[in-house]
Amino acid sequence: MAFLEIDGLKKRFGSVEILKGINVELEKGGFLVLVGPSGCGKSTLLNTIAGLEQITEGEIRVDGRAINDLHPSKRDIAMVFQSYALYPNMTVAGNIAFGMEMRGVPAAERRAAIDKVAKILQIGHLLNRKPSQLSGGQRQRVAMGRALVRDPKLFLFDEPLSNLDAKLRVDMRIEIKRLHATTGTTIVYVTHDQIEAMTLATKIAVMRDGEVQQFGTPAEIYNNPTNIFVADFMGSPAMNLIPAKIDGNGSGLSVVLDRESRQPIVLPMPGAPAGLAAFKDKQVIFGVRPEALTDPEGAERNGSAIATADCHIEVVEPAGSDTFAVTNLGGKGVVARLRADARIQPGTSTPLAFNLSKAVFFDPATEKRIL
Amino acid sequence: MSAVTSPARQASSGLSARTINRIVIYGLLALFAIFYLMPLFVMLVTSFKTMDEIQNGNMLALPHAPTFAPWIKAWSEVCSGLTCVGMKGYFWNSIKMVVPAVLISTLLGALNGYVLTKWRFRGHTLVFAMMLFACFIPFQSVLLPMATILGSLGRFGATLQNATGFNFGLGNSTVNLVFVHVVYGLGFTTLFFRNYYEAFPTELIKAAQVDGASFFQIFRRIMLPNSLPIIVVTVIYQFTNIWNDFLFASAYAGSGDVMPMTVALNNVVNTSTGVVEYNVNMAAAMIAALPTLIVYVVAGRYFVRGLMAGAVKG
Repeated sequence: MAFLEIDGLKKRFGSVEILKGINVELEKGGFLVLVGPSGCGKSTLLNTIAGLEQITEGEIRVDGRAINDLHPSKRDIAMVFQSYALYPNMTVAGNIAFGMEMRGVPAAERRAAIDKVAKILQIGHLLNRKPSQLSGGQRQRVAMGRALVRDPKLFLFDEPLSNLDAKLRVDMRIEIKRLHATTGTTIVYVTHDQIEAMTLATKIAVMRDGEVQQFGTPAEIYNNPTNIFVADFMGSPAMNLIPAKIDGNGSGLSVVLDRESRQPIVLPMPGAPAGLAAFKDKQVIFGVRPEALTDPEGAERNGSAIATADCHIEVVEPAGSDTFAVTNLGGKGVVARLRADARIQPGTSTPLAFNLSKAVFFDPATEKRIL
Repeated sequence: MSAVTSPARQASSGLSARTINRIVIYGLLALFAIFYLMPLFVMLVTSFKTMDEIQNGNMLALPHAPTFAPWIKAWSEVCSGLTCVGMKGYFWNSIKMVVPAVLISTLLGALNGYVLTKWRFRGHTLVFAMMLFACFIPFQSVLLPMATILGSLGRFGATLQNATGFNFGLGNSTVNLVFVHVVYGLGFTTLFFRNYYEAFPTELIKAAQVDGASFFQIFRRIMLPNSLPIIVVTVIYQFTNIWNDFLFASAYAGSGDVMPMTVALNNVVNTSTGVVEYNVNMAAAMIAALPTLIVYVVAGRYFVRGLMAGAVKG
């Protein structure tokens, strides 16, 4: 039995269904990230776990106990808000201790708990300041301190890093990961940033329009997306989704990628998924991540299915650690990820290696994965 | 000069135009300031003059021999109607009315604003719209219905007096006035607080809920401590309105020793026996105006700040 279980959760506002039957579970000490575009219902889902929104149907259980009818303060949760929601009239210490004060914890115990948390988060020197005298990163720490001090069963984070600048965001991301590793708490984390999701999570739920599109480990989500939306949403730069045709020539299947005013590229697919045979002579969406489309020298040497084809390079983007090259296949711009020192010129033709063992196929009609 | 002017001359003429603008603006401002301060000045100087000096001298002249006698007479001797005990009793009447009325109406307005923005219920906009109505009702139109209600309350108080030996203040003129001012102040105080709390971050309330704070704990520990600007605005507004009110005061506490300051002052000035003691009248009027002046001077800068705080976020 999982630690956090969300079972057939539905949420309606009038006739509008915001959450359409969510089923998610998380083991104790796990880190669940809810990720998706704006308006997908991820924050609403978090609020229902917190008890700040009522649910219409279903059940939320923590440690085997249904909590969906309990008051937020009785659920043994702590929440970090996007705006940090620090009480402006109280000092840092007052903010951290407010929950304990409300629960009638004696002052001496409160003091000890504040000191302990301040030590973990290194905010001891800030305890007597007001939130308005803190920087963004310090406020973020205080907000986490307020959550940590409760020692709850479940931590809820609502886009906690989105108000920080880019560098601080990376620092705090590592900090959160370290905190999770050292304290072993169970966390539910909402973000729209797929990199945060990939780096932090032990489990990811990709959401769209109030439905979980895919639920799994970061590697599963990244390597085996169940549909076009997940494939497109996770990963930066995004997965190349190229319209293609499946061709069969007796011995096996091959993928045909059209090119404007050039010979189409034909990639033989010896290890094609079983379902692909049904799409013979039909259109599919051929998905290949930029790192699976690279210069032949940089391609995985032990990759089981590498196919090389000459491609016309339109744009070259040196990004320092990598060089991105944009070519045109099937009428779409396709990004290849090359080594930083790859010698490549825009406007020329260069052989690119397709790692077909990492390629995925989607049905253009249903947008679902072809297995 | 208009047709052919060199750039340099244009610049210099522009500069002088700006100077002229400044002179005109400051001149006008000074003129209006004098215009508005004139009555206050006349009141002040007259209140320190003897009657001889007033009858023979210039109204605007400074007093030759300043005397506090008119002030002392106004405070403790002047006749309001037939009783000659000065303004001090009526002054305290006003204080006893104004302080509870301001506190209660401000607190209830804050509570209304809190509920109307952070604990929304079905039909909250309708309730707010109806409360706003109180701001537009001419007070003359409610004089009679309110008198009926106050009469009923008074009879209820008498019943309680007979039954329990205590009337809980019902039927007392000061309590009546507090009640009336709270009821008719609520529309304004609710409006002020609702608009202020509309911009108040809701995540703070959510965080406090997760922390386990109750409805009133959130109100007292989170909302009120962060509402200082709007509290100051509301207190100034309510204080000046209630202190200066004459209509309700004369209708519901218009005679005897329960009169508030405004009614008593009217009676002092309207006394038709003997010589009109302008110096005493002016001193009495100054005493009547002093509390609102003090409130403005002490809290005035918060007033402007508070008005801005609602308009611009942050």
